[in-house]
Amino acid sequence: MLAIQHLSKQFGTLKALSDVNFTVAQGEIMGLIGQNGSGKSTTFHSILNFLKYDGQISWNNAPITEAVFDEIGYLPEERSLMPKLTVEQQIIYLARLKNQSAKLIRPQIDGWLKKFSVKGKRTDKIKDLSKGNQQKVQLICTLIHRPKLLILDEPFSGLDPVNVDLLEQAIIEAKQQGTAIIFSSHDMGNVEALCDRLLMLKLGKVVLNGRIEDVRNQFGKDRLFVTTDWEEQRLKQLEHVVEVTRLADKKYLLKLDDPVAGRAIFHALTQGDYIEEFSQQAPSLDEIFRMKVSDQDA
Amino acid sequence: MRKLWVITIETYLRQVKSWSFVMLVVAPFLMIGLSFGVGFLSANSSQSGNKIAVVSNQSTLRDQFIKENKDDIKKSISSIKAAKTAFKDEQIAGYIVLSSDSHQVSAIFHGGRSLESNINTKLDSFLMQQQQRLNLINAKLSPAQSNTLQQQPQFKQIVQKKTGNAKIARLISFWVMVLMVYMILITYSSVTAQEIASEKGTKIMEIIFSSTSAYKYFAGKILGVLLVILTQLISYGIGGWGSYLIAQHASFTKEIVAANHALLDKVVSNLLSINLVYLFLGVILYTILAAFSGALVAKAEDASKAAQPAIYLVMIAFFATFPFQNNADALVVKIMSYVPFFSSFFMPLRIIDQSVGGWEVAASLVVLVGSICLLIQYIGGIYEGLMLQTDDSSFWKRFKRGVSYH
Repeated sequence: MLAIQHLSKQFGTLKALSDVNFTVAQGEIMGLIGQNGSGKSTTFHSILNFLKYDGQISWNNAPITEAVFDEIGYLPEERSLMPKLTVEQQIIYLARLKNQSAKLIRPQIDGWLKKFSVKGKRTDKIKDLSKGNQQKVQLICTLIHRPKLLILDEPFSGLDPVNVDLLEQAIIEAKQQGTAIIFSSHDMGNVEALCDRLLMLKLGKVVLNGRIEDVRNQFGKDRLFVTTDWEEQRLKQLEHVVEVTRLADKKYLLKLDDPVAGRAIFHALTQGDYIEEFSQQAPSLDEIFRMKVSDQDA
Repeated sequence: MRKLWVITIETYLRQVKSWSFVMLVVAPFLMIGLSFGVGFLSANSSQSGNKIAVVSNQSTLRDQFIKENKDDIKKSISSIKAAKTAFKDEQIAGYIVLSSDSHQVSAIFHGGRSLESNINTKLDSFLMQQQQRLNLINAKLSPAQSNTLQQQPQFKQIVQKKTGNAKIARLISFWVMVLMVYMILITYSSVTAQEIASEKGTKIMEIIFSSTSAYKYFAGKILGVLLVILTQLISYGIGGWGSYLIAQHASFTKEIVAANHALLDKVVSNLLSINLVYLFLGVILYTILAAFSGALVAKAEDASKAAQPAIYLVMIAFFATFPFQNNADALVVKIMSYVPFFSSFFMPLRIIDQSVGGWEVAASLVVLVGSICLLIQYIGGIYEGLMLQTDDSSFWKRFKRGVSYH
């Protein structure tokens, strides 16, 4: 288990992280979200010992030392490989730095290239691959030594939908094998689809931390999806409705200032008659993210 | 240790597999080979055209002359007719007709130009001997009288080798040494700085530092480059020795080698001494500096600029030795022979000049080794900070931030 306790980091006068606490258990995926400059990469760099920090970071109750590095797979935000090496040389070099033997890794390479649909051979130079394929090779380098802790900094950025699916599949497989996974993303859809837990940072402070469902429910079920013959103007006049958004013909999203008002609105809309759709939901992660970003007190 | 070697071997193999390294190692031998080849061909072609034929009505006389001068004579031509044809076809420079009766030995040379002086001298001497032999027989002298007449004057040369070439040997050794140090430092400062700067420019450092420590990476890179230098020096050593052996036996170089044997021995012994330690330590020191400057570069495109600080320092140290090549006892030389980055040039100058004591060499080596250790310790410590700074700010800003990265 990765355990972060009271993690703080200061750069000069800038407080990059303030008393950050979280854990990621084996077989668990945690999404780290926050705006640019919120402290996500600083958190990763602290875990990887790139920085000196205040607080404690441990992996399976022991401090993170070079010996632990062999159990970590890290994909940095800026993608990069050594352009003059071949695909095979690159994968083997980085795997050997993770204490893997070339003999063990070499026979696996073709399988991984196929799994990630890399268009290129193991003998191709990295510089001759397309950017997308280079990105896939880097992912293979991150995963091939079967890490027990996977740290992915913006892993989905720059990937097309097909490759997003491939990466999601690889992350799920790693989770099933018991890997503790922490990744940062700006796409709340990925976080919602993959993560068991999330942690949101704002100016280095934790503003959200918990299981996805718990976080969403913290905000109450203040959204109503309805399909009705009522006009938008009429819907706005309903008590406790603060905002109406037209999603499609006759389909609206109503935001409430009090989730309890849902029942009264249901009665007002249906008046005992059939209604095509009425669904009361918690806000999406995307909405929660925007809410928290704009929240001055958070 | 394993990861250190992974980095070392990767750096080493990447460098030695490159065309630039292969060319660097092979080029001097190609040049030597080319010079040998051209020399051999020109010697061969000019020799065959310069050879002469010898014909005689007395085969013993002819055989004896050929035996003494086989390099200058085309033995296969034995008749006047064949000699005339060969001369007409420009296969030989001319031919000698040797003849002898009971009183007179004579020789007639037929050629397009006068007989070359060396063969002319040999022919004179040969004819003189043959004539003297005939004269002795015809004079019917007693053995004692005959021996008395054959008495030759004595001439001996005693050459004091030590005083003869010691100064020249020192001068040659100085130039070979400083040029060798200069060339190796210039080449490898550039190679090291570019290697590290281009790697840093690819932003792969975060991945590498998530696998091993910056200290091991730094040490691995330095060791890798040193192995490359060692490979080059060994290749040059083996190739140089091989070339020397060939030169000793090749017909067109053996005389030069034999004539300068003592000088060559002296130069080699000047080079294969503690000076090599200075060369090696100097290379380590400059390689560390080059690795450091490579780490200060922000973009891969700037890799070529990375080597500049180390290269400028090498050049300053190299050119600073020039005024002192005949004045190794100067105070500046004495001071500089203790200053790291300069001592690799200045101390060998004093050692070759034999104007330095053993304890002075030891003190200078201690300062040099100590500086290397301190530099490794310091740069190894801040290396992670330097390598992870990839923003395009000014050199000094990056340096300052790198040093205080943690």
